[in-house]
Amino acid sequence: MIYQIQVLVRSFDYLLIGALMTLKITAVSVLMGLVIGTFVGMGRLSKSRAFSWPASVYVEFLRGTPLLVQIFLIYYGLPSLGLNLKAFPAAVIALGINSGAYVAEIVRAGIQSVPKGQYEAARSLGMTHGQAMRYIILPQAFRNILPALGNEFIALLKDSSLVSVIGITELMKSGQIVISRTFASFSIYGGVALIYFGMTFTLSRIVRYVEKRLAIA
Amino acid sequence: MSEILKVEGLHKYFGKLHVLRGIDLTLEKGEVLVIIGPSGSGKSTLLRCINHLEDYQKGRIFFEGRLVNPKKDVNYLRTKIGMVFQHFNLFPHLKVIENLTLAPMKVLGVSKEEAEKKAQVLLERVGLLDKRDEYPIRLSGGQQQRVAIARALMMDPDIMLFDEPTSALDPELVYEVLEVMKDLASSGMTMIVVTHEMGFAKEVADRVMFMDSGVIVEQAPPDEFFANPKNERTKEFLKRILSF
Ligand SMILES: Nc1ncnc2c1ncn2[C@@H]1O[C@H](COP(=O)(O)OP(=O)(O)OP(=O)(O)O)[C@@H](O)[C@H]1O
Ligand SMILES: [Mg+2]
Repeated sequence: MIYQIQVLVRSFDYLLIGALMTLKITAVSVLMGLVIGTFVGMGRLSKSRAFSWPASVYVEFLRGTPLLVQIFLIYYGLPSLGLNLKAFPAAVIALGINSGAYVAEIVRAGIQSVPKGQYEAARSLGMTHGQAMRYIILPQAFRNILPALGNEFIALLKDSSLVSVIGITELMKSGQIVISRTFASFSIYGGVALIYFGMTFTLSRIVRYVEKRLAIA
Repeated sequence: MSEILKVEGLHKYFGKLHVLRGIDLTLEKGEVLVIIGPSGSGKSTLLRCINHLEDYQKGRIFFEGRLVNPKKDVNYLRTKIGMVFQHFNLFPHLKVIENLTLAPMKVLGVSKEEAEKKAQVLLERVGLLDKRDEYPIRLSGGQQQRVAIARALMMDPDIMLFDEPTSALDPELVYEVLEVMKDLASSGMTMIVVTHEMGFAKEVADRVMFMDSGVIVEQAPPDEFFANPKNERTKEFLKRILSF
């Protein structure tokens, strides 16, 4: 037991470097997911089938297949079509595309939560559809869906552990590397879990803080 | 006087429901038209068609003599036709002043300073300059509706449409909104007002129009309209609405 703790203490810096990578992957994927999700979410609500149909297919397909399969498809599958991606871009793209599907559903609900009169008032002032969305609907929608988005980001942070399988040395992989050298499975996985928890807990606090700040306005 | 708006043979369906059944209407510049009628008669739908918030299946609308193309002209048209809604529809995430300045800046390309200067003038006019930095939720219903009127005026519209602007207000707040509307009417604004406020109709309207089941039943200057309505349905409606 003493040995286990010693290993954890000695390799803690190394795990933290992995955690930094986890944060980096999560941050980039979150941004990608937000952008994709916003457009796909708006697409799902479009009156034109040319937008709503592809958006629906996107959401259904990505939510209906395992993330691990999606990661493999992008990292191992695309090269056979002649498209080689390095591990980091592959990981971020897979996570971002996947998260985009979940964010799209959240954004859709958020847009629907804004009363119809808001859109009409904006249009009655001469704003285009795009202007009404950008200045009136989306700001209110995002305020309403902030808690749900926070949950999605936390899920994404945890899901990012899956990209350890394509050889990215994020937190999970760092732990595995330490264990393969020291066999201190319990303390290292325990430490890894604690670091994940520290990150998700902090993230949820940040989301709650932002929520409160926005609620005042 | 010259004609500013003309509606010709307008028909509107919601699915199978035939809501407007051949509306013909002309409006002179500076005229105040009050529309009354029972619930469901199509008053809101008519205003919304004029502003193209609803599409219509048949008929034509002319603005300043030019045929409106519903596919092309609506954004421009809407800057020229202001609309005030029953439930105000102020933007809750924006301060009062931002509610006023957003559309002129984004739609007309007015500078921020210029927009704010104008917003101050209009807020002063509706008596709410001291609320410029409040969020709408902090205002009473009557104040919100006055802000909504100022917001529409920011675009320098040629016509203002009011859809039951006082129906959602507590009785003691109706007056302040009607005062602003009277002021607007006396400044020469062309207005179409859907309302149940018969006092306003008598005092301010140039013409009162009664709608029922998607058609215009009768219209006349207010004195004549109220003193001796010709149609049975109009009489029936007036009896009901004036009896309390
Ligand atoms: N979006 C819609 N979809 C389907 N039917 C509608 C829609 N909007 C209005 N209607 C119907 O059209 C008819 C006319 O409605 P409208 O709102 O124009 O009446 P109104 O004269 O303004 O009534 P009120 O005094 O209650 O406001 C009603 O039968 C209403 O149920
Ligand atoms: Mg109505």
